[in-house]
Amino acid sequence: MNVRNEPMTTLWPIIQREFVSNVLTSRFMIGFIVCLMSTAAAVFVQVADYEKRLAAYHVVLREHQEETRTWDLYSQINPKAHRKPNPLGIFNVGMEKSGADMVSIELATPIWEKEAQKQGSDNPFLSIFLSVDVIFVFKIVLSALAILFAYNTISGEREDGTLKLVLSNPIPRDRLVLGKYLGGMLSLFPIVVMSFTVGMVIASASPATDFNVGDLLRLAMVLVVSLLYVSTCYLLGLLLSVWTKEAATTLILSMFIWGILTIVHSNIATFAVAKFPPYKLQPEKATRQQVKKIWDDFKAERDTYIFKKWGYIHPASAISHEGQIMLRIEMSSPWDLEFEEFYTIKPIHNADVSKFQEVLGYQEPLRIDYANRAEEPLKQREEIGKRNGQLARDISRISFADAYRFAVGAITSTDRKSYNDFIRQARSYKRQIVNYLTGKKAFSARAWFSSDKGKAEFVDLPVFQHRYNSVSESLSRALGDVFILLAWNVILFMGTYLSFLRYDMS
Amino acid sequence: MIWHIAKKEIHHNLMTLRFVLMIILLPVLMVANALIYGFGDNGYREEVDTYNLAMERRLSRVKDDAETSLGRLAMRGPGEIYKRPSRFKFCADGADELIPRSIPISERAGGGRGGAVAEEYSWREVWTLEYLPSNHDSDATTLIKIDWVFIGIFMSFFVILFTFDAVAGERAQGTLSLMMSNQISRGQTLSAKYLGAFFTLMVPLAIGILMNLLIIYLSGNIRFDSDDWLRILGMIGVFALHISIFIFLGLFFSSRVSNAITSLVWLLLTWVCLAFIFPSLLGLFVGTLDPIPSIEIVSSRKRAQLANIEDEFRPQEMLEVTKLSEAPAPSNPSATRQWATYFTRRHETKTRIADQHVDQQLRQVKLARELTQISPIVCFQYAMEGLANTGIVSYMNFVKQVRRYRQTFIDFIKTEDRSDPDSLHIYPVREGLSQKPIDPNTVPRFVEHISHQSVIFPVALLILFNALFFTAAQLSFLKSDLK
Repeated sequence: MNVRNEPMTTLWPIIQREFVSNVLTSRFMIGFIVCLMSTAAAVFVQVADYEKRLAAYHVVLREHQEETRTWDLYSQINPKAHRKPNPLGIFNVGMEKSGADMVSIELATPIWEKEAQKQGSDNPFLSIFLSVDVIFVFKIVLSALAILFAYNTISGEREDGTLKLVLSNPIPRDRLVLGKYLGGMLSLFPIVVMSFTVGMVIASASPATDFNVGDLLRLAMVLVVSLLYVSTCYLLGLLLSVWTKEAATTLILSMFIWGILTIVHSNIATFAVAKFPPYKLQPEKATRQQVKKIWDDFKAERDTYIFKKWGYIHPASAISHEGQIMLRIEMSSPWDLEFEEFYTIKPIHNADVSKFQEVLGYQEPLRIDYANRAEEPLKQREEIGKRNGQLARDISRISFADAYRFAVGAITSTDRKSYNDFIRQARSYKRQIVNYLTGKKAFSARAWFSSDKGKAEFVDLPVFQHRYNSVSESLSRALGDVFILLAWNVILFMGTYLSFLRYDMS
Repeated sequence: MIWHIAKKEIHHNLMTLRFVLMIILLPVLMVANALIYGFGDNGYREEVDTYNLAMERRLSRVKDDAETSLGRLAMRGPGEIYKRPSRFKFCADGADELIPRSIPISERAGGGRGGAVAEEYSWREVWTLEYLPSNHDSDATTLIKIDWVFIGIFMSFFVILFTFDAVAGERAQGTLSLMMSNQISRGQTLSAKYLGAFFTLMVPLAIGILMNLLIIYLSGNIRFDSDDWLRILGMIGVFALHISIFIFLGLFFSSRVSNAITSLVWLLLTWVCLAFIFPSLLGLFVGTLDPIPSIEIVSSRKRAQLANIEDEFRPQEMLEVTKLSEAPAPSNPSATRQWATYFTRRHETKTRIADQHVDQQLRQVKLARELTQISPIVCFQYAMEGLANTGIVSYMNFVKQVRRYRQTFIDFIKTEDRSDPDSLHIYPVREGLSQKPIDPNTVPRFVEHISHQSVIFPVALLILFNALFFTAAQLSFLKSDLK
């Protein structure tokens, strides 16, 4: 028989044999049931949580719309940027339940992620319980199963003596390795696909989840990446099976490596970087001092300018009046991040505010400009935090279990970068609001501080739309980690192949 | 005879690859834990410094208020109350990031009024406790810390690797029937195997713990007193109970199934379920089982109730005499009383809603904790947290103690006020209380008492699990085939 001309005829029986021998074992049945049930339970719990978060999101949106109607003055403007719950968070929670859900847009307040608000959870204390999702189940259970399927593929057959028998046939070793790999993967395939499908069916049954084509495409990509991850784990088991002579040794070694890679490694990396950060943050007090200095500069610039131009020592001096008036100025405390001066003039008809409007027309854009400057030191803090986080992630992704987690996070837009995008979008929304007010000449309008001659109009106020990355953007973000998984696959397969070519049968 | 077989088991275990791996990994994890907690940023020393600074600030504020007047102190309250950091976070972190470290005081509430019919008056309402959640920004999957609890959980995984073939492996090799051909009972064989595994596992653990404590001690950041050493001993005991459960579990599966690999599959999946799946899913399932009103509903209820009070007391422009048209003053007791009623109603409403809401949240967590104790790994975690005074239970105790302190503080204000003959004795209005300063040293201070009661139940469960799995392993081994 010419083997080289009939690769499939020799490969297929090996695949079949491997598949049958795996499927008929108790580990297949137990693994299948545990994986299926864990996935179903995880999706069930996460769907219930998603429904709650979505309902809370709609409530706050409605409340915000109602609040908008109560604004009479331009200076009262306080739109909100709300983070919309991501239905794909059901499969991979990632940052979905962490960080801020709402950024309040105040014109002269720098946006700082730390001071943004968290909403949506009825009970924040419940977050002390680890959040298990489909990806977590796959990362732990499926990887263990893949290793349990692979550990005795070579060393077990060698112990039983069947390997010698198999190799006594005219089957090239490379084909045997390939056949065993494909057979093993074929037996893991139904577990992955069935579990994922059951998860999708449960998620789709909820009226709150409305997956669009993009979401389905992302889920399909998650499935492919999951298969790639399972393949990596299987190949690890296969390689160890070639390297060791006894199946028991393979098993112990592979379980040990599994434990390190899936459980210990990423936690140590994240925790160690958090405790020994290479990029040091200055104390928060120093940052606040920097912000305070910026506001002091603002005050100095404003006061100098209005004195030079109009001869006033304070904007309120621009209000002239006949008869008695009560002027009230609400000011922020010097240690707050914002600089606030909110003016109430009573009774307004006794006052002449035309000059005051001019002064405000100068002051307010300057105040917003300084708020943007005050945002810089805060952004720098965020940046340092991000750099430390990135380093922790880079160390973590050495383990393919973490590369898998990050790839799925990028695909489903539930990763840290997607969360940072939300904060970025909130900042850009603030710029939109400023442009909107500038276009309406709101800063020098009477309706900035009084509604006696007409209320402020917010009919065409821009509304914040939380936008997730497009599918192609997400995929390009995930590419690095997918590449790591692919590289692991190639390295492990080549390692197995080369080791098996030199395998000593004695 | 038992000891003889146990020694043989220990000898056998010491020669295995798994022992080599464990003797490397366990001390590495223990040393990593000690280095991270002993020398890393935001360690115990920094936490204590921050705590001391906050306490200093609080006391200086209380001193200023007390030296100004009793009325001012009564309205502004004792300031934010901080929870003392635990020096045992390296043993059981207890999801510290997610648990608030203090209970702030809401003191911003206030306002002012004036106009045609009401006298000008600006006020600050009496203080209330605010239960703010911790604003963490960590990814849900990276909240696991490398503490002793984590090492213990990982160790239970090692126990599985040590015991999965204890019976099934010997059965496959045929040595089990040889052993049983001697005059030794099955119970004795099982006990010997148990002891062999137990000592093999406890020795590296003891070495790891000693290394860990030595590094922590040398770092100079954490100092232990005699009570702390007792707690550490208690934790080692909890470790032993935890390991013991998994040895029995391993022996149970190993004697139950004919094949060592099937035993490992069962054990591994059981371990994954006990360590991750059950605690997480049961914890999160509580939200469905015992729902509580959402934050939005609670805040809208609060707004509605406060608005009702406002309506009742608001001076109406067209009425000549209204309930709050006159400002409170020592010379106007009736107006001061009206304001006291108004403030008390608002204060009671706010306090009731805030207390009820946090109680509901904590009740949910308590139920989740009770459900999750179905897993011995979780019992181990809770027992360790109880001994370390970390975790949500320590926060629950803190909340209870802060509430007791709130009452003590209010009682103190009222008692002090009664001793001033010039005061109107109307609480809680600044003008209705004594305007004289008081000695700041007489103001009651909040002292946190550490309770270890929460340890009892999980430790009892750990003992129960031991008994249960011991019986299961015995019965399973008694009924198992030798071939």
